[in-house]
Amino acid sequence: MSVRALRPYGLALLAIAVALGLGLAAERVGLEDIYRPLFIIAIIATVWYGGPRPGVAAVVAGALCVDYFFTPPRYALSFERQDFANIGVFVVFALVIGGFAARRRRVERDVHGALDNLKKEVAVRTRQAGLLDLTHDSILVRDLNDVITYWNRGAEELMGWTAEQAVGKRAHELLRTVFPRPFDEIHAELLRTGRWDGELTKTTADGKQVVVASRWSLQRDPDGRPLAILDTNNDITERRRREDDIRRLNAQLERRSQELEASNKELEASNKELEAFAYSASHDLRAPLRHVAAYAELLQKTAASVLDERSRRYVSNVLESAKKMGALIDDLLAFSRIGRVETRMTLVSLGDVLREVLRDVERETAGRDIAWKVGAPLPSVHGDRSMLRLALSNLVSNAVKFTRTRPHAEIEIGCRNGPSEDVVMFVRDNGVGFDMKYANKLFGVFQRLHLPEDFEGTGIGLATVQRIIARHSGRVWAEGVVDGGATFYFSLPKP
Amino acid sequence: MNGLGRILLVEDDPKDIDLTLAALAEYNLANEVIVVRDGVEALDYLHARGNYRSRARENPAVVLLDLKLPKVDGLEVLREIRSDERLKLIPVVVLTSSREDRDMVASYKLGVNAYVVKPVDFHEFVNAVKELGVFWAVINEPPPGSVAGRK
Repeated sequence: MSVRALRPYGLALLAIAVALGLGLAAERVGLEDIYRPLFIIAIIATVWYGGPRPGVAAVVAGALCVDYFFTPPRYALSFERQDFANIGVFVVFALVIGGFAARRRRVERDVHGALDNLKKEVAVRTRQAGLLDLTHDSILVRDLNDVITYWNRGAEELMGWTAEQAVGKRAHELLRTVFPRPFDEIHAELLRTGRWDGELTKTTADGKQVVVASRWSLQRDPDGRPLAILDTNNDITERRRREDDIRRLNAQLERRSQELEASNKELEASNKELEAFAYSASHDLRAPLRHVAAYAELLQKTAASVLDERSRRYVSNVLESAKKMGALIDDLLAFSRIGRVETRMTLVSLGDVLREVLRDVERETAGRDIAWKVGAPLPSVHGDRSMLRLALSNLVSNAVKFTRTRPHAEIEIGCRNGPSEDVVMFVRDNGVGFDMKYANKLFGVFQRLHLPEDFEGTGIGLATVQRIIARHSGRVWAEGVVDGGATFYFSLPKP
Repeated sequence: MNGLGRILLVEDDPKDIDLTLAALAEYNLANEVIVVRDGVEALDYLHARGNYRSRARENPAVVLLDLKLPKVDGLEVLREIRSDERLKLIPVVVLTSSREDRDMVASYKLGVNAYVVKPVDFHEFVNAVKELGVFWAVINEPPPGSVAGRK
């Protein structure tokens, strides 16, 4: 037996010893019959605090002490008949008291057990309620009168009221719920089927409207009577807003695409008009011009002898202007053709194209001192061969033209094949160059940086280059110094 | 001037007619040029019908054809020449103001012998006409049924 188990018995012996001591002391001062209640108190105390078994031990020890110390013959264990009666009454009394004490202890134990269970239950429930607080959903419980009885943290976060503020209020008054159909209908459905779900609009504590996906479940008591409603809500305001946005954007897109279609049709129509215009210009505009030039030339030939110097100059000016205008029309038509004609994309070797271009300019450069420098093998690109040839030809002719004043011209054509996605070609010359201040004017139609008597030209060549390169998703730019040469670049996507 | 074939000039513009004739005259090619002013007249001449019912039945040595013509345009005339058994061997030179690719492509598809864009420069035009006239009306051996050159 452990020490802990022996302790009640020790208590019993101690109580009896105390009762004995007090009894003997009382006897000394003449209080002879007080020992009996003292032993009874000791036994009650033992039973109360130590339990029935130590109580029995106390009864036995008490009976022996009474017999030994107080009943005659004193200081001897002798059991007379009268002693048995005394001891019997004493024992019965002690047993009754012990019985009460034991019962009390049992009751006490039961109460303690019940209390412990209750505490455990409370702990479990508290944990579960805590879990409800963890969810992002807003959960509330309301009774059949719509009065809130539970309000989780999600509800607090979404709606802005604390549980203390919300519990006890009527839910749909507090939340100013907007129902998609009459509340009575919804409630009837809930009572009939036990559940309902739908989208509701509610208003938060700070007056903001939120849209929630709401799910209601009806709780019934064991007899099937409705008790309460569990009301779970997800905030779908953001989702709804996005959906609305998407709907609105879609509508916008639809409208835009209709507009685009309309403007495409317009564009198509105006392209057709442009086509007709260009065609007509090609035929009809050139014809009278040819006539002017031709008759002026005939006049020069037939009337040269009768015309004076001034008249001859007039005729010559007529001729020159007509030719100039012919060149302008031709260039403009070529320029507009780039926009109108479909590109025929193939893999084009820029090296081959350049060779053709150089062969063509040979005639223009006869008798001039030009040092041509062509960079290492030029790359191939995806593009429309004839357009790229025109672009390269314009740039090379440009270089030839603007180096005309140089006794020794240098023209370099090459490729700067960097790590980028583009092929960069350049045409560099040591000609008259240009002021970078006007670099933005270089590629405009009819934009010229030189006087016509210095350098002839229509002002369309570089615009044509730009248009061609733009149609190939590339870029053109130029660098130059007045009297220090110019470099024209264009980039094309690598094939 | 002998030794030359007959040239059919199909041209609506009087100044162009004048200038073409002037150019041909420079090289003594102006004789025997028959001028018609639109596509219908050209086809009438070629088929020897209408006003030309009574003409001699030889084909011209060369047709100089403008494309933009009243009533029936040049391409239509060319198509009809090429689809007619009796006419299809006649050399046809398109002489036009148009630099448009599509006209040129269409002309070659229809089997034109040469396509000349009339230059603004008159003497270039004269050179072109001379070369054409000399080649088609003088040097080129005309197909049977044409007015043959007596060289």
